Amino acid sequence: MTLLLQYIANGLAAGSLYALVALGIVLLYRSSRVLNFAHGDLSSMGVFLALSALAAGWPYPLAVAAGLGSSGLLAMAFYRIFLRPVRGGTLLGSVIATLAFALVLSGLQVWGWGTQTRVFPFPLSESRVVRWGGVAASERTLGTLGIGILLVAGLSVFVQRSRWGLAMRAVAQDPEAAQLVGVPAARVLAATWALSGVLGACAGVLLAPAVFVDPFMMLDPFLKGFAAAVLGGMESLPGAVVGGFGLGVLESLFAGYVSVRFKTTLAFGVIVAALLIRPEGLLGRPFQRRV
Amino acid sequence: MRRLVVFLLVVGLIGPLGQTVAQERGVTPEEVVIGTSMPLSGPAAYWGAVGRGMEAYARYLNEQGGIHGRRLRVVVRDDGYLPPRAAANVRELVERVGVFAIVSLIGSANAFAVRDYLVRNQVLWITPTADATMWYGFRQKRYLFVTYPSYVEEARILVEYAAERLGVHTVAVFYQNDLYGQKGLLGAKQGAHRARIRIVAQVPYEVTAADVSTEAVKLRESRAEAVLLYATPRHGALIVREMAKVGYAPRLLSSFTLADPIMFTLAGEAWNNVISTGFFPLPGTGDARVDQALGILTRMDPALRANPHNALAGWAFLEPLVEALRRAGRELTKERVVSALESLRNWDGEVIRGVTFGPDRRQGIHRIFLTRAEGGRYVRISDWIPYPVRF
Repeated sequence: MTLLLQYIANGLAAGSLYALVALGIVLLYRSSRVLNFAHGDLSSMGVFLALSALAAGWPYPLAVAAGLGSSGLLAMAFYRIFLRPVRGGTLLGSVIATLAFALVLSGLQVWGWGTQTRVFPFPLSESRVVRWGGVAASERTLGTLGIGILLVAGLSVFVQRSRWGLAMRAVAQDPEAAQLVGVPAARVLAATWALSGVLGACAGVLLAPAVFVDPFMMLDPFLKGFAAAVLGGMESLPGAVVGGFGLGVLESLFAGYVSVRFKTTLAFGVIVAALLIRPEGLLGRPFQRRV
Repeated sequence: MRRLVVFLLVVGLIGPLGQTVAQERGVTPEEVVIGTSMPLSGPAAYWGAVGRGMEAYARYLNEQGGIHGRRLRVVVRDDGYLPPRAAANVRELVERVGVFAIVSLIGSANAFAVRDYLVRNQVLWITPTADATMWYGFRQKRYLFVTYPSYVEEARILVEYAAERLGVHTVAVFYQNDLYGQKGLLGAKQGAHRARIRIVAQVPYEVTAADVSTEAVKLRESRAEAVLLYATPRHGALIVREMAKVGYAPRLLSSFTLADPIMFTLAGEAWNNVISTGFFPLPGTGDARVDQALGILTRMDPALRANPHNALAGWAFLEPLVEALRRAGRELTKERVVSALESLRNWDGEVIRGVTFGPDRRQGIHRIFLTRAEGGRYVRISDWIPYPVRF
């Protein structure tokens, strides 16, 4: 029983980060239908900028805020400079543009910071462990789990209750109709890109103390976040959260009791299974087309 | 007049042909071109510093006037640690860039992917950075020269040491799920068999994995007295940290690929007392020539300070070829370099030591030593430990 609880605790800790990544992906996808392949690299860019600010002697909260803000600004700038001018173009073109952006960001990180693995500081300790019975979690793990849940709740309130959140939902549903009733669709989309970038960087900053920092640290979390988004429903923000935590726990239990060798493969299996059995995801609405 | 035209035509056609036949690929009067492929991006990019080390060493040699007046040009290609990209890179290096030799090429799976191509095209290949057991029984090795240890032999020696000197009875292996890690696992099994102890857990991970917390719990559940690591520095540090978190503190053994100063930064105190190996003298352990080589490398490329062991490995991999180029003389051909390499007998370079090749011998080194991590540095704790010459 203790072992089971330990696996679940590990899964929840990993899942909270998958959920944050998935939220950024879903937020953008439901508004613009663009799957942003640069999401992971935007996250790591935020981490590197925060790391540089820390190295320059900035206070921790300010350095992290600068990293998050820079990722948001970069994401928004990408939208305004590259995607908005070609908004009549194909969706595939936009997706490929995000892929190119990912490569540029990754190259910039290698060029600017090198490929060596670095430590990202965190106010809570990794070595001090809290135990309940036989279940152990570090203070850092509990902290990131708590912050992750707070961020998810905050985003949910923002999207459901604020005027900007309402505008985002309106643009997500029908950009042209939203524009007709006075919603500045282009500005709302730009803000959505920025928010998605900030969310990604949040995931990066929370993940960095756990997995160390290098320009490719987000490869696996991005894949897992994408799998979580598909599992929960690409258009559903609560689905992204459920998908993230679900995937984290599923992965941990699978590695613990079935096969540790195929742990990473499980995320791909989840994508395939979700698309076969319930393409709209766990909390997504079924796809319907009026004929 | 007609005779003159025919003569000029013949000269025009045959002349360049004769020149092409005589000219060695990758060699001009001014330079020798060397190619390599390694991970400069992706999850194993940390090891890409080997390529920078090679480039820095070549720049230093060129600063000294090159070799017999020829500059050394190192062309490094990024394969992201992916075998298909390594194969494409090697084809490009040989067919388009036209390199004289391939030096290194990191990754056992990557080396395996390009092996047949390089052999078929008779390309000179110095020190594939891959498990050396790949070459056991391999016949077509005229242009192959290896000065890289075998992971199988290394893991066997580490497990035998743990059994005989540390009194360990059970070992678990945390390994990368590719040829590198699998060869380590194989060696661990051989060592356990010989020392009559048990491998009680085999826990693999994928090189892209970010979370190894469940793997740490699996290792703890095995109750192994020692854990052997065949991983990237990042995953090695992660698993050590996660094991500490779940209250598991076994004796730690690791491949020399982890015997790097960065481990003390990443894993902290938990890295102390880790038993590892080395195949060339480590910097800061009293070997003046290695310390001097590192000084040169960091002068040529200050960024290499962050990655001294891999930088020196780059020097070590290139060094036998540099010596062979010196011995081959100004009239440089592949066959002359092969003969020069075959003439190396217990040859000591600045970094790599005790290299021996011969007409029937392509395994340049057959010994390692043990180290222990202590307070931010690695201390040598054994003499050279030989293993059999097999190819």
